Amino acid sequence: MGSGENNPLGAQNAWDMLSDEQSQKHITTGSGDLNNILGGGIHCKEVTEIGGVPGVGKTQLGIQLAINVQIPMQYGGLGGKAVYVDTEGSFMVERVYQIAEGCISDILEHFPHSHEKSSSSNKQLQPEHFLADIYYFRICSYAEQIAAINYLEKFLGEHKDVRIVIIDSVTFHFRQDFDDLALRTRVLSELSLKLMKIAKAYNLAVVLLNQVTTKFTEGSFQLTLALGDSWSHSCTNRVILYWNGNERYAYLDKSPSLPVASAPYAVTGKGVRDVVSSNHKRVRVT
Amino acid sequence: MRPPAPNPPPAASSSSYSRREPRPENPLLLLPSCRAAKLSLGCPLLDRLLSGGLPAASVTEIAGESATGKTQLCLQLALLAPQSPLSASSLFLHSDLPFPLQRLRRLAPKSRPDILDHVLVAAAHSPAELLSLLARAQLLLSNPGRSPHRRPIRLILLDSIASLFRADFDASPADLRRRSALFFKISAKLKELAYRHKCVVVVTNQVVDVVERDAGNTVAWSSGRRVSPALGIAWANCVNTRLFLTREADGDGAGGSARRRMRVAFAPHLPEQSCEFVIRRDGVFGIEPTES
Repeated sequence: MGSGENNPLGAQNAWDMLSDEQSQKHITTGSGDLNNILGGGIHCKEVTEIGGVPGVGKTQLGIQLAINVQIPMQYGGLGGKAVYVDTEGSFMVERVYQIAEGCISDILEHFPHSHEKSSSSNKQLQPEHFLADIYYFRICSYAEQIAAINYLEKFLGEHKDVRIVIIDSVTFHFRQDFDDLALRTRVLSELSLKLMKIAKAYNLAVVLLNQVTTKFTEGSFQLTLALGDSWSHSCTNRVILYWNGNERYAYLDKSPSLPVASAPYAVTGKGVRDVVSSNHKRVRVT
Repeated sequence: MRPPAPNPPPAASSSSYSRREPRPENPLLLLPSCRAAKLSLGCPLLDRLLSGGLPAASVTEIAGESATGKTQLCLQLALLAPQSPLSASSLFLHSDLPFPLQRLRRLAPKSRPDILDHVLVAAAHSPAELLSLLARAQLLLSNPGRSPHRRPIRLILLDSIASLFRADFDASPADLRRRSALFFKISAKLKELAYRHKCVVVVTNQVVDVVERDAGNTVAWSSGRRVSPALGIAWANCVNTRLFLTREADGDGAGGSARRRMRVAFAPHLPEQSCEFVIRRDGVFGIEPTES
């Protein structure tokens, strides 16, 4: 698939690495503004953490990425499959179907001649097809979560077409009575090392959704991402989703190559999209 | 092609279900049951707000100040479950005493006194009691054969989560941590029962006046107060769907009483929208918007 493949020895010089990086595609978030601050979208071979308060759209973005990773190559996508590890039970299949329909209707709008294309590509553009290409794991305890991530190494070896692994959320089962915080830290850092390895080895994006918690510092309560500071070193990129009045915003908090920036986004019936209002005027919907 | 046994966890699992090997599911195959297994609220307008009713395998919170209809809705659901396509019994866990038996009787259809047989009631007075009740509920759900006359439990109601946490906790950081660990433990158990047994789980919650430390939590106006669901943002992370029942400050709504509203504060499958409702003798019902 193009010029980005490694040489048979597996060695890469700087030029190879650069061209590899350039030919590497991104997974679109559905919002152009959000893609811009992320340098094109969610990057393969990297771990991206996305945090935010309940209801701001973490799961919506997670589902959107599981759909968008499947956009066929002839329409500018990666044509890959998705692994969705659901630890909280918020992966609602009827919503996944809607988001798939929204994605397909946008593709057909941007490629108006695609109706005339071969029947095989039209067959690809069915919401049912998008749903069936998500490997969905429902996890009910942290032990199961660890087992699933260990199993992923083998699973991805057998399913090389997977381009994204989403964990929604990485936090939930680690916020129960973990009396031994040192153990928790150790378990979590092992987990994140595995995920980084997986991202590199299988050329896929790892997206970790994280909850927000209140932390008592310097005499006041402040919002911060859950699981503490030890965890925050283990992600290449960190995006915080937040409310600004009635608008949703994403803030790129950490990235190896991109500046800190923020952008508005919207969650519509079709999924995650740009805010569409004249001059970004705030629209109050009640 | 069987995957190898996963590595043993570093500590004992909190779940007593036998460990299963990770196995991916195909969302396409889950779609029909996801759409069908909704519990109707017995009112087309409220069902429309919720895209068919309350979803199974998911935890729905109904938050609101006192007398906004939370308990009424729970009783209504408990009576509807046996008559619904789910044809299910319900488990009603209550922490407020006494259990509103008279209200349940009044709501039950006169022609169907047997409906009450399908409502199982248990009281929980503390988080520890609730957790032990949920462990017993798991046995009951896992072995439905033991009760031949009873329909399978597909609805779990908890009324309310906030009253379990009234006592024994202060506002110190250590106590807040202990408290939120319990939220996550309770929520994980409810979600596990919901997923493994395709149950609809409903948890009611009270409200508190908005305080500074709860930045990020849902806020709404109700009876002229700015309120948030109780138990802070930690608990907000524990539910899949949050429905907020509010009441307008002035009493010029239907029937001279204050207007009430059911609002989807957040839900993975629903847009943020709302519906006005009334509480009648025979239950909670949505009403069409009266102003254009």
